[in-house]
Amino acid sequence: MKVIKITAVWCGTCLIMNKTWNKVLKEKNIETISLDYDMDEEEVQGYQVGKKLPVFIFMNNNQEIKRVVGEHSYEDMLKIVSDLENE
Amino acid sequence: MIYLDYSATTPVNKEVIASYTTACEKFIGNPNSLHRLGVEAKEVIDASTKQIANILNIKTSEIIYTSGASESNNTAIKGIALKYANRGKHIISTELEHSSIIGPLNYLLSLGYEVDFVSLKDNGEIDLEELENLIRDDTILVSISSVNSEIGIKQPIKEISNIIRKHPKCFFHCDMTQSVGKEKIDLSLVDLASFSAQKFYGMKGIGILYKREGLNIEPLIHGGKSTTIYRSGTPALPLVVSIAKALRLAYEDFSNKYKQVEEMNKYLREKMSKLDVHINSPINAIPHILNFSLINIKAETMLHALEKDDIFISTQTACAVGDYSRAVYAITKDKERSSSSMRVSISHLTTKEEIDTFISSLEKNIKELKR
Repeated sequence: MKVIKITAVWCGTCLIMNKTWNKVLKEKNIETISLDYDMDEEEVQGYQVGKKLPVFIFMNNNQEIKRVVGEHSYEDMLKIVSDLENE
Repeated sequence: MIYLDYSATTPVNKEVIASYTTACEKFIGNPNSLHRLGVEAKEVIDASTKQIANILNIKTSEIIYTSGASESNNTAIKGIALKYANRGKHIISTELEHSSIIGPLNYLLSLGYEVDFVSLKDNGEIDLEELENLIRDDTILVSISSVNSEIGIKQPIKEISNIIRKHPKCFFHCDMTQSVGKEKIDLSLVDLASFSAQKFYGMKGIGILYKREGLNIEPLIHGGKSTTIYRSGTPALPLVVSIAKALRLAYEDFSNKYKQVEEMNKYLREKMSKLDVHINSPINAIPHILNFSLINIKAETMLHALEKDDIFISTQTACAVGDYSRAVYAITKDKERSSSSMRVSISHLTTKEEIDTFISSLEKNIKELKR
C-alpha cells in the first residue's frame, strides 16, 4: 500500500495533517508520495482533487482504495491505516 | 462605487502618491552611489527612516524595508529558524495566521522543524496557559498576529510578551499587518513585527520588518548591503518616502479617525443585527472589521450579487479555496457558519450613506437568493 498526499504550503489544515501523518509514519511503514497542490498542478489534476485540502489517497496495486480529505485526528488516521492493512 | 474591503487593501492617499512621484523625479540616484546624486538620495532615505522610527518609537537600525508583509513574515520566520537552528527547531503559532505565516511554517516542517499551534478560547483569543506549557527549551520562536484579518480578533500581545520574556532563548514575532495604522502599537513588546503600507493608504510593494536591535536573523535575499545587511537590493527610495508619508498620515488625527470607525461599526452592527445573518466578529474585535455568515446562501454568490450593485466586500474562505474558515470555526464551532462567512471592512472614509446602501442591497439580495 502507498499513499498519495496532496497538500498546499499556504494551508493551515495541511500543516496540522502533515504533522499528524509524520506521527503515523513513526508507527506504520507506508510509502508516501507528497504532491504540492500548486507546484505539481498537472499531476494533482489527474487525481480529481476538489477544493478541500489536504487529500490522502490510499493506493493498492495502483488502484485507489480509500480517500481521506481534510482534518482528522492521529487516532483516526492510525485506525484508517490499520483497517486498510487488515482488509 | 462603495468600497468596504479596506482590510484587503486601501486606496492610496493622494498625498502619498504625490510624495512618491516627487521622489521619483527629484532623486534619481542610487543611495549606495558615492557621487552627489547618491548622497542626496541616501539623505532622503535616512530622513524617511528617521521619521518612521520616531512614529513607531524605535531605532532606525531596527527597520528593514521589504516588498510587503509577506516578505516580512517570511524573513522573520525563516530568518530566526535558520539562524538559531543550533538552539532548537520548535516553533509555536496559531491557526488564525495569514498564509504568509503558514507557508514558511509548512516549509520549515519539511526541513525537520516542529510546529505547534496554541489553542484558541471561545472568544478567539489564544489560551495563555497553554502557550506557557507549550514553550520548551528548544522553542526558538512564537509567531502570533496582533489582529486576525478575517474577524478582527485582537490577541493579548502584552500578556503573550510577558510569557515569552520568561524564556530568553525564545523570540516573539508578531504580524501587525492589520494593526499598523488602525491601532496604536507598542513594538517594545515584541522582537520582530511585520506590516505593509498598502493597509494604511500607502503603496503596494513596500513593507517593513521591525527587528529588535541585537537580534540576528539569516537574510532571505543575499547580496550587497542595502539600507540594512538583512535585505539586499537597491533601496526603493520612492517607496520608502511613500511609506513614511503614509505612516505619518495614518497616525495624524488618529483618535478622531478611530472614533469615527467605532461609530460606523456600531451603526453597521445595529443594521446587520436586523438582517437574516449571523455576526461573527466579537464585540471586542477591532472596529474596522465585521465578519458575518449568511444562512443558506453561498458567500461567493452574494459577493457577485453585491458587486452588481457596485458594492465590494470580501468572502472569507480561509486559505483553502472552498473550505471552511478556520478562524470563524474557532469562535463559532459551526462548520455551516464557517463556510459562508463574509467580511465587511470599513475605514474612517466610510460614510453612513454607504452603509445604508450596502444594507439595502444585502437585504434585497438575501431575499432574492433565498427564493
